[in-house]
Amino acid sequence: VTALAGITIVEIAERPAGEYTARLLADFGAEVIKVERPGGAPTRSMGPFKNGESTLFHYFNANKKSVVLDLADPADRATLDRLLARANGLIDDHDEAWGAARGLTSAEVAAAHPHLVHAIITPFGQGAPLEWQIARPINVINAGGWAYHSPSETPPDKPPLKGAGRFLPDYESAIDAATCVLASLHRQRKTGAGQFIDISEVEVQLNRVDCVLDRMLAGEAEPGPERTAYDMGGPGTSFACRDGHVYLFMTSKSHWKGLCELMGNPDWAQAFREDWLEFDCTRDNVVRFREHFTAWIADKEKMPITEAAQKGGVAMVPVSTAADLPQNEQFVHRGFFQKFDHPAFGEVAFPMACYKLSASPVAIRTAAPALGAHDPEVEAR
Amino acid sequence: MPLPDRGGPLAGVRVLELTKVWAGPYAGKMLAHLGAEVIKIESATNLDEMRAYGGVDINSAPYFLSINQEILSVQVNMKTAAGLDLVKQMVAASDIVIDNIRPGAMERSKLDYESLKQIKPDIIQCSIKMWGTDGPLGYQTGYAPCFAALSGLTALVGHEGETPKGMNIRYGDSTAGACAALACIAALHHRERTGEGQFIDLSAVETMTSLVGDSLFAYSVTGEVPQPDGNFHPEMCPHGAYPCANGEWLSIAVASDAEWQSLCEVLGAADLAGDARYATLAGRLASRHALDRALGGITAAQEAGDLAERLRLAGVPAFRSQSSLDLCGDGWLWGREAYRMVSDHNNGTRPIIGPAWRMEPDAAKVETGAPLLGEHNDYVYREILGLPQDRVDDLIARKVID
Repeated sequence: VTALAGITIVEIAERPAGEYTARLLADFGAEVIKVERPGGAPTRSMGPFKNGESTLFHYFNANKKSVVLDLADPADRATLDRLLARANGLIDDHDEAWGAARGLTSAEVAAAHPHLVHAIITPFGQGAPLEWQIARPINVINAGGWAYHSPSETPPDKPPLKGAGRFLPDYESAIDAATCVLASLHRQRKTGAGQFIDISEVEVQLNRVDCVLDRMLAGEAEPGPERTAYDMGGPGTSFACRDGHVYLFMTSKSHWKGLCELMGNPDWAQAFREDWLEFDCTRDNVVRFREHFTAWIADKEKMPITEAAQKGGVAMVPVSTAADLPQNEQFVHRGFFQKFDHPAFGEVAFPMACYKLSASPVAIRTAAPALGAHDPEVEAR
Repeated sequence: MPLPDRGGPLAGVRVLELTKVWAGPYAGKMLAHLGAEVIKIESATNLDEMRAYGGVDINSAPYFLSINQEILSVQVNMKTAAGLDLVKQMVAASDIVIDNIRPGAMERSKLDYESLKQIKPDIIQCSIKMWGTDGPLGYQTGYAPCFAALSGLTALVGHEGETPKGMNIRYGDSTAGACAALACIAALHHRERTGEGQFIDLSAVETMTSLVGDSLFAYSVTGEVPQPDGNFHPEMCPHGAYPCANGEWLSIAVASDAEWQSLCEVLGAADLAGDARYATLAGRLASRHALDRALGGITAAQEAGDLAERLRLAGVPAFRSQSSLDLCGDGWLWGREAYRMVSDHNNGTRPIIGPAWRMEPDAAKVETGAPLLGEHNDYVYREILGLPQDRVDDLIARKVID
């Protein structure tokens, strides 16, 4: 049983932001009809590739159907209207000029299909200067502040970072977009009426740091040019060990006591006050601690040492790699990776959702479609 | 008195929160900003730490005020039997219950899903835990940087060749909360269609993992382990953040040879434009470190905002890397109401970071700041539960309402 059975979403998005929004809805059981331009979606030609197929495309477009429409062509554009007349939602992530050229502005869609939930995800939201709307994920995460402040403690001469992978802001925006679309579909169930949803990717970035940035807006904390303005201080960071890295987080006397015991109470540790993390956490002490700890942890293996740490009440964890996760006992227990016999790739493991719904679990049911695989089906409607 | 109608797509949905710190309250905020009526269960003897940070008055704690707009607060001492009974009466009148308290705590209070279902058969319950609700590591608790490290995300974030330091230490909680809100609304749809409630078991670690899903899927297919890669992008070059005057940085993403030529023209870099090594993406990628240094040498003397504007007008995606100071003073964000004012008990008004969406028509109003402790006791006890005033007075006297 799926949560969104009976819901149809038309996706005209062509970037991961919109594709992942619709994928989240497809995983919940919505029928997602992906409209692809002749020649195929741009993500089909983005790597990494295997057997000539894009892993990226296949990740973001599982559980969907594909139809090919040239939305600049009047006949195909009319076909889209036929689809929209029977659909519940429309997902777009193009700039406003693109929509205007195809009769797909918010006003035009609302006039033609008042029942429809219509979401457009753009870097700065509707109404931004046209030249801003070409922003790419690295521009979004820089405009929104997370890049400037990542990693924590980045020195002034090191560049801000784009985040994990190529599309971190796209994922974040998709979560908000899917949430809004689902909320609006809930209203549609009650009223029969649609809504227009304007998602700003940069504003999603801001919202995710509400309790840090808002205190600055409100004058309770001082904003500034420092790269460390979001940091918390303290010794927490990643450290290299024999087979990778660990992350250590410490804020309390009990954390420190536990760590000292784990290390066998070395002499150097005695030089620190037992409550130094709370009351004597100076820059010098952090540096001194890290020097000693870096040497101590260097020859340890990440899994056994972090397991021992956890048992002693120390918040030290392995920095997991992509290769570690499928073997991690908790991930295995929860079935986070769904094994799937993939037509293009053979046996694969799909990373799934972070939520397990007891009555309507999400799942990969079908691989991403071949280009235009559902043209006949849609033609027949 | 009934509360004013705020509108919005989740109007009529009632959410009960047993949440603390950030991830759980953020889920409540998302739902409230979509129009749900979100009631936070609080107690003077068991406060949300966010009411304490900042050290002054629990009703004007900065961290708390920055998250909990349009949230209602009701006081209940859950360590008393009478208090637990009141919570159960609230459950009976709610659609969704969200918690992010310690593993096992809901079960000990007989507020686990099986128990809640006895009270309200179609209840939706969402529990947010670091590792989810069960499993061999389910007992562990942690902080955002820990679950980012465990998730596989941290391993991908670092300057090339260095220890992966991950995203800023603040990253993680809010995204877990956002995913909880998403799952709760999906469950509402399931209930609308089938009449059935359900339990949502959310793992904060897996939230972070899902944000690198494409990288992990690619690993599953190709066997190549993704690495911390700075600002590297296999399909765009130049792609990175470049130093500018006054310690500023400028993000640039070049996806085509035409954009490359435009970049060189704006920078006045005829030598780079004519350099055969850089004529194609493959060539630029092969020499990207030298290219980044050459570009940095040119951008270093320029003002980031001005250069970004000139690049964008030439069709090259570019934007200043914004500091907290830049963000607080950003005219576009203020003008678009990315920041907006809500009511505030001390100062009259307070700026907040508003929702990242606009809806038309029928957006939910977001106008009321975070609640005083117990501000909505009367509403919850008198209006929703229908208790007589003398009974409420008695509960206050017995410190059940505290």
